[in-house]
Amino acid sequence: MATGGAKREDHARLLQEIAQMLEDGLETQTEPFPETAQEFARILDELRALDPDDVKGRLVIAGFLNHPYGPDGQRCQECIYYLVHRRWCDLPELSLPVEPEWWCRLWKI
Amino acid sequence: MANLLWLQGGACSGNTMSFLNAEEPSAVDLVTDFGINVLWHPSLGMELGDNLQKLLRACVSGEIALDIFAFEGTVVNAPNGTGDWNRFAGRPMKEWVRELANVAQFVVALGDCATWGGIPATAPNPTESQGLQFLKRERGGFLGPDFTAKSGLPVINIPGCPAHPDWITQILVAVATGNAGEITLDEFQRPKTFFTSFTQTGCTRNMHFAYKVSATEFGQRKGCLFYDLGCRGPMTHSPCNRILWNRQSSKTRAGMPCLGCTEPEFPFFDLEPGTVFKTQTVMGVPKDLPAGVDQAGYIKLTGAAKAAAPAWAEEDIFVV
Repeated sequence: MATGGAKREDHARLLQEIAQMLEDGLETQTEPFPETAQEFARILDELRALDPDDVKGRLVIAGFLNHPYGPDGQRCQECIYYLVHRRWCDLPELSLPVEPEWWCRLWKI
Repeated sequence: MANLLWLQGGACSGNTMSFLNAEEPSAVDLVTDFGINVLWHPSLGMELGDNLQKLLRACVSGEIALDIFAFEGTVVNAPNGTGDWNRFAGRPMKEWVRELANVAQFVVALGDCATWGGIPATAPNPTESQGLQFLKRERGGFLGPDFTAKSGLPVINIPGCPAHPDWITQILVAVATGNAGEITLDEFQRPKTFFTSFTQTGCTRNMHFAYKVSATEFGQRKGCLFYDLGCRGPMTHSPCNRILWNRQSSKTRAGMPCLGCTEPEFPFFDLEPGTVFKTQTVMGVPKDLPAGVDQAGYIKLTGAAKAAAPAWAEEDIFVV
């Protein structure tokens, strides 16, 4: 069983890996933004089909960016799935460490 | 002594089951303590066949005074307006409903189906179902918009799928004991004492609602069910978190979203993939916001609440 310290290290390491992938220009599917709950559900279905360890696949399908997006500057910080203190996306299909200034097309307020 | 007659139309008996589980007061208390004489009820009545028809005819003629006519289920009009798909005691139920409603001192609609049609009246409504005085939000229903019982009150609507047992028995007691004058009704003829506050009022997840922390799976004890799981607690009028179910809990307390079953539009979901138990959004913003909140205010509030959220709001604080 992982201790609290080990969990924090894992979290930090994964966050760093994701940040590096985005920094290196990982191309993700930012469009189309799901306008309705049905379209949102179809993206979730794509995510569920991935291998649970396929972090890169999740980033690509969810359309992650390492900066705010759109005319309103949408970002994880205001997203309903974002846990501010854990710096964590709590959407079960993503379950990833994320930074508050990032964004993905599963953004929901 | 007040005579109560209870009939069922297009119904699943859910409100009967609910009524029989009442505790404050119980169904037995109605008889022993509050002077209600149950003339007949589908699960309790003794008369069958000719004897039941005789009883019903005696009510219609006035030979037996009908103080309270309680109706559960929809009024079924199919096929082609005849009502033959729901025959009862020798004739279409809707004919009994019309005649009994006209002689009753009080008419009480129990549950969504009797109030506004509920699930049976959902499009395409193959049973041509109606509520007693509403069809969904549209006033009128089977008895028409101008109907009043002999007491002068319109149909008293006690919605829910099912209605909470104590909503039913408390209203029946109020009527039977001469306190109907204290019942004030809202625009949908629901008793205001039960249907002015929201389902969210008293919800144990209100602090998660305030700090915009979402539950993302059924049964989670942390997080609010409104943001992702389609909970209609902030838009639904009911006392489900004030008058608890089984004196213990409520849907939202147990981690199950409110379905909005006391509102005329219920059921809200169209059963398309991604719509059931999922908050409906347009461009990431909930389509139905908490009552009285506008979109700009909601977005501003979310930003402020997330920024102010304490760490404990993200933990399961109910773990002992």
